[in-house]
Amino acid sequence: MPRWITTAAAITALGVIAPAVQAEPLKIAIIESLSGPQTSTGRLIATAAEYVIDQTNANGGFNGEPIQVKEYDNAGDTSGAATKFREAAADGAHVIIQGASSAIGGQVTEDVRKHNIRNPDNPIIYINVGAEAMELRGKKCHFHAFHFTTTAPYRTVPLMQVMSEQGDLGKRVYSINQNYSWGRDMEAAIVDNADRFDYQVVDKVLHEVNRIQDFSPFVARIKSENPDSVITGNWSNDLLLLMKAVGDANLDITFGTIFMDQPGNVANAGDVAEGHYVAHSSNIELLDEAGTEAYKKATGHYPVFIEPTTLNGVGLFAEALKKVNFDGGDIDVNEIALAMENTTFDNGLGGMHVRKADHQAVIPIVVSQVASGVKYPVDGTELGFKPIKTVAGEDAIYPAQDSCRMRRPK
Amino acid sequence: MRYALIAILALLALLIIAPPLLGTGWQYALINALIAALFAAAFNLLVGQGGMLSFGHAAYFGVGAFTVIHLMQSVEYGDIPFPTVLLPLAGAAVSLLCGALAGFFATMRSGVYFALVTLALAELLHSLAPHWDEMFGGEAGLSSMRMPSLGFTFGSTLEVYYLTLSWVVICIGLLYAYTRTPFGRLTLALRDNEQRIRFMGFNAHGTKIVVFAISAMFSGVAGSLMAISNETANYSVFSTQVSALVVLHTFVGGSTIFFGPIVGACVLSLFTFVVSGVTHSWMLYQGIIFVLVMLFAPKGIGGVIQAHIEQRHALPWKRLAAPYALATLAGLMVACATVFVVQSLEIVLSREYAAAVARTGEYAPYTVFAREWQVFHPFTWLFPVLLLVPGLYLLRRAFARIQTLWDKDDDDDNGDIAAAPRELMEGGH
Repeated sequence: MPRWITTAAAITALGVIAPAVQAEPLKIAIIESLSGPQTSTGRLIATAAEYVIDQTNANGGFNGEPIQVKEYDNAGDTSGAATKFREAAADGAHVIIQGASSAIGGQVTEDVRKHNIRNPDNPIIYINVGAEAMELRGKKCHFHAFHFTTTAPYRTVPLMQVMSEQGDLGKRVYSINQNYSWGRDMEAAIVDNADRFDYQVVDKVLHEVNRIQDFSPFVARIKSENPDSVITGNWSNDLLLLMKAVGDANLDITFGTIFMDQPGNVANAGDVAEGHYVAHSSNIELLDEAGTEAYKKATGHYPVFIEPTTLNGVGLFAEALKKVNFDGGDIDVNEIALAMENTTFDNGLGGMHVRKADHQAVIPIVVSQVASGVKYPVDGTELGFKPIKTVAGEDAIYPAQDSCRMRRPK
Repeated sequence: MRYALIAILALLALLIIAPPLLGTGWQYALINALIAALFAAAFNLLVGQGGMLSFGHAAYFGVGAFTVIHLMQSVEYGDIPFPTVLLPLAGAAVSLLCGALAGFFATMRSGVYFALVTLALAELLHSLAPHWDEMFGGEAGLSSMRMPSLGFTFGSTLEVYYLTLSWVVICIGLLYAYTRTPFGRLTLALRDNEQRIRFMGFNAHGTKIVVFAISAMFSGVAGSLMAISNETANYSVFSTQVSALVVLHTFVGGSTIFFGPIVGACVLSLFTFVVSGVTHSWMLYQGIIFVLVMLFAPKGIGGVIQAHIEQRHALPWKRLAAPYALATLAGLMVACATVFVVQSLEIVLSREYAAAVARTGEYAPYTVFAREWQVFHPFTWLFPVLLLVPGLYLLRRAFARIQTLWDKDDDDDNGDIAAAPRELMEGGH
């Protein structure tokens, strides 16, 4: 048993040597999945966020000090995120950036809310750059949470609108989605917009998430309904295998997707992907070349997938910092949050701002089509995302949910 | 026995006195370690004592967590008055019921079939949960807030730590007391020879259900404590990862000894907390530790400690000191070499490094062990070899010497117990 004690004593001794508290530099904690299966997404978010902060620091930082950024690895689970949140709070973080998962988003936003209730003098801001669950802007909304990614209805409306204008939506729409909150949000959005874009939902399917290896029974069902287009919020394998199964059955159906631009999708799907649509919050084809080249120079690749969203979100935050001035004194996080509400940021496609009612960002949505002959082909193929139309944020967004009751600081 | 009691009391005193001196990050890590320890102890009742390897214990952990989060919500909205300190009782009750029900089916079979049934039952919950938003809260999960109770606000992590500590100490105490009861002895007999229990006139199936249910109940307490500390519950708690982690904790700690899994859970939880803050390769290190323990100390960390305690009067400690010191040194050399290679590869193969190379056109030196290393300098790659080769050689020599000393002791006096250390070193039965 004495070994127990020496181990415990050694651990205790390690813990006592805590860092001393210094004067106020702005501290940002990136709590992301940096190990485990979601690393690829988590790494992209951390890279993009750090890129923006590095630029701010190159221009003199904030409050007379460089902004301090620290990465915390949540290992892809909510308990890990809860641990790292407490560590970040103990380190004196003012801002938390996260985005690779809605489950972890739910944990972080709730931790932030409770921390702010219990420590009203040291509040923390949560910048969500990737968690798309509606509930985070609904029942779980609060003043210190800012959501810079879109949600199911937010992307579905512009997708439908542009596909309809292009004549690719047709009258018969098939809805196939994953059976959990995200997929159900998608299905609801597809059904709700039937009258607006004048189509009929011929069938709607919800299937298990990432468990189906063979989509051919689903394709047979799709074939029997003879739809003009299939709208799906599927991601990863569920999107890939579905598209391949449709391709193998030689069906000429246009897909409207949300996650086609995940790295690897186009390469894996091959020519099957051509002509399909994707609604995303940015498209590199439309961005200023100097900016994307600078990004590539710093990080080794062009901004892809979730990176533009992160650049937008953290970009608006950095813009808001320019509006507040604490003269080297103590940082008032509430003042930064209020400044974020009143900031408009040009993300290269148009202006974006944060809606006061639920702190959902109003961002322009680009609808693109997979096509050859683009400036930036992806995944080492000939294909890339040809922008069809950019829909302004105000035209794409849905009204704030009633379930969001935000209490503002006095 | 007296020494063991003193050691446990001293450890307890440390667990009570130390946390206020630590930061909230460490306090929270200790809460997680305590919860993992209780979960592993409850799991080991089934595996180590009952001889039933379950691969789906996350189910009962999760049921406890969701029960408590629902109850906490009712308390928060003022529907039911229920003291925060007693919340784990509710989790325990529901997990006990679920455990009895699941146990009824699972324990009809034993061995691999039993493991598969438990796995299937847990997967059932894991695939059901995301479809049932009202009960499990969908992707974003359920959330609540701890309400004040007994004069404590439970707003600070420290108060939650003491609440967790009290519950974990009481439950582990109860689990230990259980092993001393006649029914606890019956549980051990169940593991050793189920047939014999039947011949003695006991109802083997009934006994197994009770053991399963009690194990599920204490797992439910652990889940409840997690819900109280996180103030959230998410259906990911039902994932196979959670079930696998408790198996890992139990076997690294040693399932044949009561305190083994508790040691394993504490060591690995704190290891994760410390190492995941330093390197992204912490899962690799955790895996290496697991493989090494399984290969060279199949009875786990607890088994190694126990072998030494049992032999403390028989071992020639003075003559063992030198080879033990040598083994430690050689072990450190091998560990340093491994860490150096893994960290070097992590840095050199990272995207950031590749981007820097593309930007500047040169392979910049990188820092490991507070020293700068050139990627293409021969010494950089000679350095781990210089540590590894002599390290492995010395390790073999040291262990050969230790083996002789343990064996000699074997010949001299008691031959029975010393079979353990040979097994310990050679790694197998």
